[in-house]
Amino acid sequence: MNGMPAVEAPTQNSFVLLQLGRRRFGLAAGEVTELAPPVRLHAFPHTSPLLTGVIVRRGRIVPVYDVASALDASNTSTHRFYLIARRPIGKSSELCAIPVDGECELASAEVASPDQDHPPYIAGSIAVGDESVDVLNLPALLAFDPASGKSSLQDAEAQS
Amino acid sequence: MAAEHTSRSARERRPETVILFLVANQMFAIAAQSVQEIRSTDSLAGSAVEFDQAEVPKVRHTIERNRKTYYIVNAGAHFGLPVTRPTLVLILRNIRAAVLVDRIERMAEISAVYALPQAFAGDERRWYRGLAYLDDTIIPVIDPAGFLTTAEFQQLDRTARAASQHELETAAQG
Repeated sequence: MNGMPAVEAPTQNSFVLLQLGRRRFGLAAGEVTELAPPVRLHAFPHTSPLLTGVIVRRGRIVPVYDVASALDASNTSTHRFYLIARRPIGKSSELCAIPVDGECELASAEVASPDQDHPPYIAGSIAVGDESVDVLNLPALLAFDPASGKSSLQDAEAQS
Repeated sequence: MAAEHTSRSARERRPETVILFLVANQMFAIAAQSVQEIRSTDSLAGSAVEFDQAEVPKVRHTIERNRKTYYIVNAGAHFGLPVTRPTLVLILRNIRAAVLVDRIERMAEISAVYALPQAFAGDERRWYRGLAYLDDTIIPVIDPAGFLTTAEFQQLDRTARAASQHELETAAQG
């Protein structure tokens, strides 16, 4: 699925397996738009957690998130692709890019409930062969602030 | 090209001339029409006044223009960039602020200013009008009003008034 949209229509149990450092994570296939080649990252000063800059993809400006720092899965400096996903923001949504190491795979599996002490950005886990792969809750992950250890979604929920 | 949430309002499609300047090797664009004057820091050495206050640390000097006090903002400190040795001051139009920058790269025409993606939710929403695409590079386009907030202006004005009052009293006693 490099550089082109997934051909198969994702089902509820379809997951894209992405490599971040030494760890693999799953992401609901319905959230993923494409896997893009490593285009140039444009960085500029800002104060938003996790963001490293923007890339230009298909004529659009797409923010890039260094989720590896939140997941404690140190990214290699030579990440090979950007996983492009759609992130809901308020009532709208926008594309976001996540640097990943290596190719991604598509897997189908049932999601098991996460551990009791799971961080907010883990939605559950799936079994892939002998491996148990954590499934990411993308909105919670992208709203996570590694400095505070909190997600801004949690703050929003607490206030409402 | 556009940010994902593009709508007609998400970008200003109007060609405009910008000044490209550098601070700590980071390039920024600012609308040429929002800059009144560009001076070297050397040429201001006699007219800039040291402004000793701690509330707004990015401001260390003031300058008088048309009987108004302009606060000189260190752009590096404003954007949280590494400390550099600025050589130029951009004196802004319609805002009582001037900005210390390292150097001017050049002037250029940009065809549009694209909205900052909504993912950027911090101070940068105040700092930038949006992003420009120029020579295969994305450059943040400065919002001149973002250099000092209303609260910072009020704080600086209070401090300046207090300092002026103190000077008058000292002179009267002398």
